[in-house]
Amino acid sequence: MTGLTGSIPAASRWPHAGARLRLWLWLAWLVALGLGLVGIYQRMTQGHLPAGYGSYVPWGLWVAIYFHGVGIAGGAFVLGAGGFVLGLPGFGHPALVRTVIVLAVAAILPAFMGVWLDLGHMGRAPFIFLYPNFTSMMAFNAWMYNAFLIVAVVCWLLSLKSRSGWLRPLLCLAILFSILFPSQSGAFFGVVEAKGFWHSALLPMLFLASAITAGAATLLVVRAIADDQGLSRTEHDLAVARLRTVTLVGLIVYFVFEFAEFSIALWNPNTHAPAVELILWGPYWWVFWIVHLLLGGLVPLVLLITRRPRAWTGAALLIAGAFISARLNVLVPGQAVGEIQGLQEAFHHERLTYIYHATVMEYLVGLFLLAVGAAVFFLGERINRWAARRATSFSRGEA
Amino acid sequence: MSMDRREFLRSGALAGAGLAAAAGLVVRDRLRQEARDPTGSETARQLPAPPPAVSGLAEDSLLRMQRELARAMAKPAEQRRWVMVIDQRKCVGCHACTIGCVAENKLPPGVVYRPVVTEERGAFPNVHLKFTPRPCMQCERPPCVPVCPVKATWRRPDGVTVVDYDRCIGCRYCLTACPYGARTSDFGEYYTDGAAVGADGRAVAGPRGPWEDQANHEYAKRWNRAGRASPLGNARKCHFCLHRLEVGGLPMCVTTCIGRATFFGDTNDAESLVSELMATHNVYTLLPHKGTQPRVFYVA
Repeated sequence: MTGLTGSIPAASRWPHAGARLRLWLWLAWLVALGLGLVGIYQRMTQGHLPAGYGSYVPWGLWVAIYFHGVGIAGGAFVLGAGGFVLGLPGFGHPALVRTVIVLAVAAILPAFMGVWLDLGHMGRAPFIFLYPNFTSMMAFNAWMYNAFLIVAVVCWLLSLKSRSGWLRPLLCLAILFSILFPSQSGAFFGVVEAKGFWHSALLPMLFLASAITAGAATLLVVRAIADDQGLSRTEHDLAVARLRTVTLVGLIVYFVFEFAEFSIALWNPNTHAPAVELILWGPYWWVFWIVHLLLGGLVPLVLLITRRPRAWTGAALLIAGAFISARLNVLVPGQAVGEIQGLQEAFHHERLTYIYHATVMEYLVGLFLLAVGAAVFFLGERINRWAARRATSFSRGEA
Repeated sequence: MSMDRREFLRSGALAGAGLAAAAGLVVRDRLRQEARDPTGSETARQLPAPPPAVSGLAEDSLLRMQRELARAMAKPAEQRRWVMVIDQRKCVGCHACTIGCVAENKLPPGVVYRPVVTEERGAFPNVHLKFTPRPCMQCERPPCVPVCPVKATWRRPDGVTVVDYDRCIGCRYCLTACPYGARTSDFGEYYTDGAAVGADGRAVAGPRGPWEDQANHEYAKRWNRAGRASPLGNARKCHFCLHRLEVGGLPMCVTTCIGRATFFGDTNDAESLVSELMATHNVYTLLPHKGTQPRVFYVA
């Protein structure tokens, strides 16, 4: 094991990523960035006109990406930093904490960018900090994310010191934030009494469960491809096995919660039922049955119960990607059922309907956000390595 | 390496302080109601009113409401309580109120304050249509207000919920919170954008009709959407034509109602027509189970 400041030999990073794979990853990133920039150009020059959302379904793909991103950030941080604080084998290295912080930042920044692009007045985003209304879950969330980011950056700096009595306490505070903000994401919808499907006390728990599951899966992918981070093979394997267990349990808990939600709604049809029926049998039935249940649930479940770590990584990749459907299936159907029958026929306009289809521009911007997340993670890891080297040479010089 | 005692105490203190600060901020904003609007004598207006009705002669309800409006505006804002009463037995579904509102507030495509919902009832040949105009309900407990992250929307002392277009960031949270779908977002569309151009290059109806760049006067201010300025990008809603009330005009939907089915007035005035209608009819509100306590009442 390396020193406490966590210098990791650069050569040990990304050992599985051969030159050809790296080239493909770079190409994929460039394509995502290039296409994404087209979407950004459209958004900047034409505003919201090329978007598919309207006044009766005001939020679409970008808001789903936002909640997926902050969920991954919160879930990954809880597990990575929690493992460090508790001194779990395979987690007790400051370099791993820095990786988790970079991962959280790489997930949160594009999420913020997505919701920023969704605003009608992007230039007024700072108003949330200047004139906050804390009865609004949106303001509360925004403050919580930013408090988390500040504390996480302080933790990152402290982790470079050879010894700090504040690192673990501040990590505990950041862990508290990272448990609270995915739960608040559920409360964000849960407090909206106007939407029968959203107005459920189960929603914060559902969002927390999906954050832990997607966060654990993303961290598992990172740990798997980033190899042993200078740890012993046993410690690395223990960490990956533990993340696999968390992902598996999280997956089961999430689907149990979802079954509870859906079965009660359908058993005795009430205000929830139309939205649930829309999820199951509506025009986007395949998002639930194929993306969410099959690719995000059953296939990963089968892969995770095998004894092959490579299969776990595959399962984790599937969950990290497909769990965005969990957000979409809360977000869109909740808005797509109106309280007043006949309202969309009362005044005809394409933005006054309960039907939402994400447009090309929205998908392109989604690609851009993915590219930004990947770039932030890549650069963050480079900075991690550089900072660790500096800290180590500094501590050697001191000695 | 696990935490030592000092680190454990620090963790507890930080987590406790974090939770206390969060709870404190929520409680503070829940309990504190900022005074945003002027009240008292400075808000009273002396407006001209139609002469009193001639005894024994029938009078148009608009004249009576006009007189009552002048009476209400002579009081301070906090002593007025605006309500709307819609008699669905008289509504013929002509949509004149919808169009009048669009014209008055210069609403762009996709923005509507007062659609009329048509409901078909019964089975052929015993069928009838029921029309439900749906303005903003100006709720006593508006669910759109607490969700606004920047305090850009609030309820005035006279009961009208308003939007500060210069503060609104366009997040559309309030749109999702309104069970009546009474808020719409201005996405920046124009009626004549992309319309046909004549063979001589002269615009038949486009590229953009100059009338579309005219300012509207909601909230008694001048708003021009040119250059993507507010209210473009904002949440928009019915405000009982506050700008008209200020100068003694009834809301546009009231004056354009050909069936005289929409009534407007001050329920704090026991002599007003709306008070009389509410006392003599079994009025109802939309979605009462939502607990929003609307100030728009229907007579069916």
